[in-house]
Amino acid sequence: MGPADPAWWAQRYRTRGDDVGDRVAAGTPVVGVVGADVPVELVEAAGAVPVRLTGDPGPPSAEARHVLGAAVDAPTLTLLTRLLGGSAAGLAGLVVSRDCQSSLAMFYALRELRRLDPWRGLPPVHLLDLLHLPRASTTAYDTAEVLRLADVLTGWTGRAPLGPDAPAGALADALRPARALRERLLLVQQRRRAAEPTVTGSLALHVHGVVSTVPAAEAVELLDALLAADLPALSAGRRVFLTGSVQDHDAHYAALEDAGWHVAGEDHDRGDLALTVQVPAEPTAGALALARQRRGPASPTASVPDRAAWTTAEAARCGAHVVLSLVRAHDEAPGWDVPAQRRALAACGVPLVTLVGQPHRTAPADLLAALAAPAVAA
Amino acid sequence: MTRLASATAATAHQKEWFQQVRARAAAGEPLVLVNADAPQEVLRALDLPYVVNQWWASIVSAKRRADESLDVLRVQGYPDDSRQYDAIALGAMELPADGAPWGGLPRPSVVLAETSGDAQRKVFDLWGEHPDTEFFAFERSSATRVPDRWWELVPHRWEEAFGPARLDLMVAEIEELVQFLAQRTGRVLDRDRLAHVLDLVDEQAGWNRRTRDLVAAARPTPVAVADSIPAVMVPQWHRGTEWGRDAARRLYEEVAGLVDSGVAVCPDERVRLMWIGRGMWFDMDLYRRFQDSHGAVFVWSMYLAIAADGYVRAGGDPVRRLAARFAGFTDQLYTPPWSTDWYVKEARLHGVDGVVHLVADDVPASSFTTRGLEAAGIPVLEVRANNADPRAQDPEALTEAITGFLDTRVRPGSGR
Repeated sequence: MGPADPAWWAQRYRTRGDDVGDRVAAGTPVVGVVGADVPVELVEAAGAVPVRLTGDPGPPSAEARHVLGAAVDAPTLTLLTRLLGGSAAGLAGLVVSRDCQSSLAMFYALRELRRLDPWRGLPPVHLLDLLHLPRASTTAYDTAEVLRLADVLTGWTGRAPLGPDAPAGALADALRPARALRERLLLVQQRRRAAEPTVTGSLALHVHGVVSTVPAAEAVELLDALLAADLPALSAGRRVFLTGSVQDHDAHYAALEDAGWHVAGEDHDRGDLALTVQVPAEPTAGALALARQRRGPASPTASVPDRAAWTTAEAARCGAHVVLSLVRAHDEAPGWDVPAQRRALAACGVPLVTLVGQPHRTAPADLLAALAAPAVAA
Repeated sequence: MTRLASATAATAHQKEWFQQVRARAAAGEPLVLVNADAPQEVLRALDLPYVVNQWWASIVSAKRRADESLDVLRVQGYPDDSRQYDAIALGAMELPADGAPWGGLPRPSVVLAETSGDAQRKVFDLWGEHPDTEFFAFERSSATRVPDRWWELVPHRWEEAFGPARLDLMVAEIEELVQFLAQRTGRVLDRDRLAHVLDLVDEQAGWNRRTRDLVAAARPTPVAVADSIPAVMVPQWHRGTEWGRDAARRLYEEVAGLVDSGVAVCPDERVRLMWIGRGMWFDMDLYRRFQDSHGAVFVWSMYLAIAADGYVRAGGDPVRRLAARFAGFTDQLYTPPWSTDWYVKEARLHGVDGVVHLVADDVPASSFTTRGLEAAGIPVLEVRANNADPRAQDPEALTEAITGFLDTRVRPGSGR
């Protein structure tokens, strides 16, 4: 079994990020990445492998709940569970982007735990505070933040990714495979959205998950193998588009597909929203900052109207028959988007069904019951 | 029990002031609704009438209309378990005009807020859905610096405390706001006027600091938290006016008089308590509930303390000075170790024997505040509640929890 086989991606997805120790043993620094806003090209330009971190599949530990409080989105609690369980060992450092409040809370917690409890052996942790209002002042702030990250990475890896001390073309060399990777991810997206799709939502989710834990050049090779494969067309199922909370596991996708639904798209950043981050042409801090500032509207950082417009447009591009908003408890932002999303989708004749206040893993029966609502059947 | 004349006067002034705001709005002046952590002094310098969102939420809550206000949002499909404190004013706009608190809030022309948390800006987006209201957003940058003893640094060395990047960002946003308001109201910012407003804010903070120091040193405590909160906070909503400064001075003089004449909130004061977190607006009697049973007095709330330590920003360009007041304001209260160190400093200054810590959902890493206080030898009771939503807390359970804390964990006099 290899990367031409969807089953290989499913298997790799379940163990993504587990090879940190092997990479470190082979002499490659690994930088842990939390959240969607870290310019991973900069990390690669600094000579490290960026690995987007994910929490444990099980429930969060009592310690993580105590540190962050119970009223925190489950993926952050399970990620802290994993980090406090020792999985951060070997990381050259940890970059936390403020892509949502729970990421910010975790940064402050990790910074304090590292200061107060040196026995934990936590790696150095850095907050990347990229902001998103569409203003020049925000771009300037974000650019300064990227430059600050470059300095930090230099300290962690001994190799400057930017500026006069950087190896010639370091960032440009990192942007090239990143661009190639994005092109391939867009092809995956096309095949998923096609009239006769050959890529399932689960496979797309697995692809996004795996490529965020390996160097871009390696990801390109893996995707070339997948894209060269002659995958069978899916049987014609009804199409659902997922909005609401970020999905950091594949259980919901699997449950929907098992029931015959095609998960044709989503607007969270562990899925197709990640494709809204352009890979800049210019190898500069400003260009990297702008690419993140202008990325597609994630619920915690976007306005209600921007989010509603994006969800509606993407659902239409996917040919969705229904949009399912799946909102976890303690994930505050998506619930506020729902009424505007519902209105905008209704204007296009697409029903929205909601499951709010959900646990980390919603029962399959609940997912299917929501999609069996009369509005969907009609 | 002493009811502060300052508190009574402040509340009376507030009612009179609010009717003036309503009259100005009725006469066609633009009204601005501003979140507490946005730079409202610009509005003061422009002489634009404004109301602070959190203050209005506290009035709606105190009039026991918060439930109805949140129900309005729930019926429209919005969460009623998120951002209640920010959203009460929005929901209250839909309450029947008949019987609305203080006659009701006129529809604002502009709302100002920062993009704090994940959902605060969403609430203000919804204000902006009304055709007569526009939303101006500020970024909320995060604290990346960890200055020692920030309360000594921020009055004069604010650039060092918050860093140039955060200040540059907010200066640019304030300048954009000034242009935004000029286009919509025709009012042009007089920077000398803004500097004067900021001087008045600093003077007011100076009086609050003297009051805080008096209260910290007095034994027994001369003023109830339930009284000091309105006596401090109502003038805080008038920061940058002569009235606000003079009200802070009158509070100081009144507290000094109480100390001189030996007045005690609880003559049998045995336990000094600190209340960390927002005020329990729907149950202000809570702060007095343990005086008879345990001789336990709440001697501290953040409202006077942050009014004492959190606002002074002296010297420099007025817009940058204003940016320095707001760019990291919430860090002072909520970001560890900024917040943690300050709460420990305040607990020691006031000689408290125990702390009741109201842990709100939107405050990151509150556990470090508890940890810091307990490491300093001060017992802490964590209470998980939403301060503005009476549905989220059972008063009897809260009373029982505090009683148990006093009975089992607090040693009277240990903080002295």
